[in-house]
Amino acid sequence: MSDENKSCCNTPAGEPTATRSAAPMWIIVVTLALLFTGGLYLDNHGGWFNSKVYAPYKSVDQLEAFQPKSGAAAVAAQGKKVYEAVCGICHGVDGAGKPGQAPPLAGSEWVITKGDSRLAHIPLQGLSGAITVEGKQWNLNMAAMGAALSDSDLAAVLTYMRTSWGNKAGEVSVDDVKKARDAIGGHAQPMSGDQMSKMPE
Amino acid sequence: MKTGFSVFLACFVALGASWYGFVYGPLKQLGVEQQTVILQSTDNWPQQRTGEATLGLQVYRQYGCAACHTEQVRQTGAANELDVLTLGTHNAEDFKGFMKSLLVVPELMTSSNDIVANLDKWNGQLPLVLYYGQNADAVSALAEKLKPVGVKTDARVVAVGPDIARGWGTRQSVAADYLYDQPVQLGSLRAGPDLTTIGVREPDVNWQLLHLYAPNCVVPNSTMPPFHNLFEVRKKVNGQVSPDALPLPKGFALGDDMEVVPTTEARQLVAYLLTLKNNAPLYEAPFTPVTAAK
Repeated sequence: MSDENKSCCNTPAGEPTATRSAAPMWIIVVTLALLFTGGLYLDNHGGWFNSKVYAPYKSVDQLEAFQPKSGAAAVAAQGKKVYEAVCGICHGVDGAGKPGQAPPLAGSEWVITKGDSRLAHIPLQGLSGAITVEGKQWNLNMAAMGAALSDSDLAAVLTYMRTSWGNKAGEVSVDDVKKARDAIGGHAQPMSGDQMSKMPE
Repeated sequence: MKTGFSVFLACFVALGASWYGFVYGPLKQLGVEQQTVILQSTDNWPQQRTGEATLGLQVYRQYGCAACHTEQVRQTGAANELDVLTLGTHNAEDFKGFMKSLLVVPELMTSSNDIVANLDKWNGQLPLVLYYGQNADAVSALAEKLKPVGVKTDARVVAVGPDIARGWGTRQSVAADYLYDQPVQLGSLRAGPDLTTIGVREPDVNWQLLHLYAPNCVVPNSTMPPFHNLFEVRKKVNGQVSPDALPLPKGFALGDDMEVVPTTEARQLVAYLLTLKNNAPLYEAPFTPVTAAK
């Protein structure tokens, strides 16, 4: 034991000493490379911390690309939107009509016609006077509520009426609306039920 | 202690950074969540629960439902799909030929193999899934080409993932879905199925009550324990069946003079379960809903 002590303490030159030395080059390179790839990954997958971007979507652009834009659902949604803003106030959001305000659209023989050309005339020209809907007499006035709507909005809302609340009629195309608008031209007069029943469906 | 200040600073930075990352950052990002409008609709999402269902969440919590059930649907991707609804004037055979002749345009070049494969395995039934994949341009190009010839198509966006394939939802769960959950019952173990859309899958009150009383009478071989203490087993009053009594199937029914009646807690829990229906498309979780009217 004393030998060991001696060998230790008698040679102070063997003591390790702390010196300053530069970090090895490879550590610096690897660290920079890791930071760089991490940055790239964050850029590609992080969505820039936008709270609307969840994995698997990687960016707002990609999320935008997957937003449903067209198709039957979009037409139905557009129709519903227009209906609730323009028609639903009087005809009711469920299409059941309101006594003293407007007759029902759900199951109405004027809405679920076989052809799809006559219906567009009602919102484009308006109605006045007596009309029989589902066996019940109505005597009210409707302004040309649809005249200010675009062709595609009007087509969507008419399609919505014909396919909602149990109605199962065909859709109204933008062309049908365009044709009706052209036929009316600049002289839109409100029709009566009698006049309308004489028009081809 | 010469290094006291440095040690303090190091601790402050370490704790501060984790507080920033785990508390402040997420709060800044998601703390502003509020009701949003459902895609292609005028309805708001999510809806505040009724009082009964709000109390039901506490029953859910009290009975530890989250120990075996999760309320989070995951998603691994999304895809664009183009369905052909009607063929116009074509019949099935010459539609195939006509489609193949359309595929030479540049937008469809990269997807033409998929489309040809879909056409080849098509059995003539409508709707035909003409394209399914990542290429949104191909979908719009196809729809554009098919519109003038009277072929009706429907472009759809679908969410994809194992949870969705199991029928547990139509899209992934996002922060906005949990706006009115206090506390959020995410769960982490799936001994039972995910309950995010249970209100859509099993909308019947009686089914839910029977399932709580005796899971095996509606789901054979279910491993869920029966929750008998949510129900009152009592003697029929004057031999008359109570209107609230459970319609127990054969093999589970008690004696002729006994009946099983759900307690208020059971009714609250079921009211809560029936509000679990994450089926609305949102901006952050888009998909095309199936339209009921066809």
